[in-house]
Formats: sequence, structure tokens, C-alpha cells
Amino acid sequence: MMTPRENLLSLWRRKGYEAVPVDFALSPAMVEKFLRHHPGHGDDYREFFSFPAREVRTTFLRQKETDWRRYYPGMEFLPETTFSIWGTAHEKTPESMHMSRMYHPMKNFTSQEEFDAYPYPEFDETQMESCRKEVEAIHARGLAASVCMECTIWECAWYLRSMEEMMIGMMTDDPMTVGHLERITVLAEKRAAAFAAAGVDFIRLGDDIGMQHTIMMSLELYRAHLKPRLKRVISAAKRVHPSLLITYHSCGYVTPFLEDLIEAGIDVLNPVQPECMDFKEIHDACGDRLSFWGTLGTQTTLPFGTPEEVRDAVLRNLRIAGEQGGLLCTPTHLVEPEVPWENIEAYVSACREASEKRSVISG
Amino acid sequence: MTDFEALRTAIIKGKRNDVTAIVQAALEEKEDINRLLDEGMIPAMREIGDKFSRNEAYVPELLIAARAMQTGLALLEPLIAASGRKSIGKIAIGTVKGDLHDIGKNLVAIMLKGAGYDVIDLGVNCDTAKYDSAVKQGADIVACSSLLTTTMPYMREVVEHFKGTHVKVIIGGAPVTQAFADEIGADGYSEDANGAVKLVDSLYHRAS
Repeated sequence: MMTPRENLLSLWRRKGYEAVPVDFALSPAMVEKFLRHHPGHGDDYREFFSFPAREVRTTFLRQKETDWRRYYPGMEFLPETTFSIWGTAHEKTPESMHMSRMYHPMKNFTSQEEFDAYPYPEFDETQMESCRKEVEAIHARGLAASVCMECTIWECAWYLRSMEEMMIGMMTDDPMTVGHLERITVLAEKRAAAFAAAGVDFIRLGDDIGMQHTIMMSLELYRAHLKPRLKRVISAAKRVHPSLLITYHSCGYVTPFLEDLIEAGIDVLNPVQPECMDFKEIHDACGDRLSFWGTLGTQTTLPFGTPEEVRDAVLRNLRIAGEQGGLLCTPTHLVEPEVPWENIEAYVSACREASEKRSVISG
Repeated sequence: MTDFEALRTAIIKGKRNDVTAIVQAALEEKEDINRLLDEGMIPAMREIGDKFSRNEAYVPELLIAARAMQTGLALLEPLIAASGRKSIGKIAIGTVKGDLHDIGKNLVAIMLKGAGYDVIDLGVNCDTAKYDSAVKQGADIVACSSLLTTTMPYMREVVEHFKGTHVKVIIGGAPVTQAFADEIGADGYSEDANGAVKLVDSLYHRAS
């Protein structure tokens, strides 16, 4: 019998699977619902529902800067505001639930000197030993070890600089913009190689390059600035650990990017929003070269569908993926507060049903 | 003699310096400001918007064109008020209460401004009082944006709030659909920024 780790990796390699795994992320309000429906198990729903993978907490980053407010002259942030290790401000408001408003420390930079002086995080190789121990502990439980490096290049860059400034800088081949992308890429290469050396099974990369019904930027612009850098990050990891898998996240419609993403070296596409992309269509086009993660719509079926509709969507998508696997069927995004708990249970039940009775997803 | 074709091309391609040169030369020649706007700059932004709808241009092309347009407008602004040019419409736009996402909302605002409308950008996390404040400043269309299914229901409150008044409420955002707009009684829905301009045109009975 396969361990959850073996099962997931075999599924994503399209080499067959024994069980249909489940995985999702709950917003805090949904965790409260979990606690009400399953009292006595603590709040770790990942354990309760037997998710097949766990993330390491190591970042391989260090940061000396502590006074980020000096990069926001004249700004008066609300008291709950936090700053990322990159210096991006996240301001919470009383109405914003688990969300925050983002502010960009480099937005008004006008000179290369300002970019050069900015305290980008540094690569910290001293974290290798603790990362290896984390991976070993996860593997010892039969689970897959992963790390999240989403917001890999593009989103990391615009979180710091603002989307408008980054887009215009890329359109004009502005040296400051290119240098900024390069700083982020070099650091991502080092981190990806380090996580690979520590033995993680998959690295979660991602940058949102899709909008609801169209791509965010032209293929030409993507190929000029982002694709080669993504490829470098993936190559850095796979040079060290060739069988490691790369999952890639982009919200929205990314169908025109698929061949580029495959060429860059991704193995698994996430989240394949059914409101934006046709899973059957993209599976037909590249299901022999790409696996998938997601496909259960959090804009439609999960919040507004019935439990029966949730079941139907899960079984339909597993059927499309086929007997060799290729799909970790999950909600496409964080499960928001209005989702009926019954629909989460319906999702899990459908996966369990497909595990126990493969005929419901065959043919 | 102003080269309107060159002005349109400069805006569409986002050539700020070219826009500055053409507009400055036009002003020195006492060109009619209305012609600069109505035959040069605004048609250019509408053209890039149409390219966006046809997937021939994307967000970066819109932004760089809008920036070039803004450069030209900055030169014209001191003269626009003196010219007695009338507003073609004033729209209040904001992401609804509880939602802090603003990329889509900003794009719509950019395209409405490019089409010649006055836009009051209320930012994010807007409650009905905030929309009211813009209506008091003369807005007669309220454009509501939402990214989250959790915050979409607030659009219904906005629609209810303005029901029976002259204010029209239009909605958009990733999870929002025409069916939802119909369900809550909104005056219109658009799935993208250029469509929002066409929608506003139709509400003002303008040919687009």
C-alpha cells in the first residue's frame, strides 16, 4: 500500500494512484465551522482530513531591516499593519476579515541608487540543517514535503514596486525594472536549489498572470521578462533534485501560457479555475505533459452549489484526468467564509467515494 | 496644423514625449482644446480599449497609453476649465465594503477617464455613505467592484440604497456575472474595463 506521499507523487506523475487525496485551505471563519462540526480535534483540519503533504517552514531568507516605515514617508498605517520580510506593508481594516491592503515600498523610486540601497532579503544558507530535519520529519510520517515559493518573480516584484510601475517598466525595458526582476530571480534560484537539496518533494511556484477571461500581459512581454527567469528558477531546483516536482499557481485564464509554462519546466498547474478555463479542453491539449491541482470552483460550485453539485464536479474532473491520475482535485482557492460546511464535507466524501469505488470515475 | 493621427498613435503606443511635443506645438498654434481631446486623445484611448476587448492589447498596453494620455491632459488641464468644456458624465467608482482588491477597479477608472468621463475614485472598502459622498459631488453613476464572493452581497445593499433615485448602479469584478446583476437589480454589468466604458456610454445614451 502506498503512503500518502507515494500516492500523491505517483498521481502527479500520472503513473496511477490508490487513493484520491484531499487538500484545501480554510479561511479563519471556515476553521470556526470546522471546530463546530468536529469538536475535540483541535483546529488542525489537515490532520483530521489526512492531507497528503505538509509544508516546511524554512525560508532560507534573512532580513536585517526592522524599520520598514521609513520606506513609506508620510504614510499613517492602521495599528494592525504588518510588513513582509520584503518590506511590503499589509494593512488590515476592521471590515477586511483575513485580507489586508497592500502598499508598495518602491513605488516612488526614481533612481537606480534607491533600488541598490533597498534591503532585499538575503539568502541564508545556515537554515539548511533545520530544513533537512523538517523534511525528514514530514517524510517519516509518510507525507510529502513541500515549500511555498509562490509570488516567485512577477508578483514579488510588483508587490514591492506596484503593478503599474512594473508593467510600464517592462514595456519600456527600463533598466531599473529589469534589475529589480533580476535581484528577485537570483535569490529565488538560490532558494529553490536549497529546498531541492534539503529534499522537498515539490516546490510551489507561482505568479498571477491571468485575469478572469484574458491573460494579464501579452505573450511577447511574458517571454521577454518572466518566462526565462521562471525557467532559471526551475532549472536551479531540478539540477539539484531532478525528480522534484514544480507546481505553478496562477489565478484566472492562463490557457495561452500553457506551452510556455511547460517549456519553463512546470509539472503541475494550479488552480485551473473552472470559471476561467475549461479543464477538459486543457487536459486534452496537454494532459500527457502536465498534471493539475484544483478545478473545484470557489467562485461558483463551492459557495453556491449544492452538495450534489460539488460531488458531481469532483467526480467529473477526476474522470477527465483518467485512471493514471494527473489531478489533485481541490477547491481552487482559500475557502471563503460563506461556503456551507456541507459542501466541504461533500467534497471530501466525493474523493473518498472515488477512492473506494473507482468505477464512479472510470469510463 | 495639428497632426491628430500622430497624436492618436503616440497615445496608443504610450510615447509620452511625443504626446508632449504634439500637444505643446498644438497649444502654441492655438489649436482648439476640444479638437485635441475629441479628435486625438479620447479616440486613442477608446481605440486601445477596443484592442483590449479583442485581445490585441493587454493591461500593460492600457497603462502605458493611459500614462501618455495623462501627460497630454496635464498640459491641457489649466485650459480646459477656462474653455467652458462641459463634463460628459461623472462616475463614482469603488470596491465594495469588506473588499480591499483594487486592480480591476483601477483599470475601469483609467479607461473611464480615458474616455473623457470625470471619475471620482473612492478607493476600496466603500460603504453606502462613501458612495453617497460622491453622489453629493455630482456623480450620477456608481460603479461597484468586488473580487470576493464574500463581499459580492454588499452590492445588493448599494443597489437597494440608490433605488428610486436618479443614481444608476453598475457592477463588476471577477466572480460577478450578468445573472447576479439581474438578480440584485443593478443597472448594468460588464466583464472588463472596456465593456464598462461602453456600459457607461449606453447609460448616458452616448454612441460608442
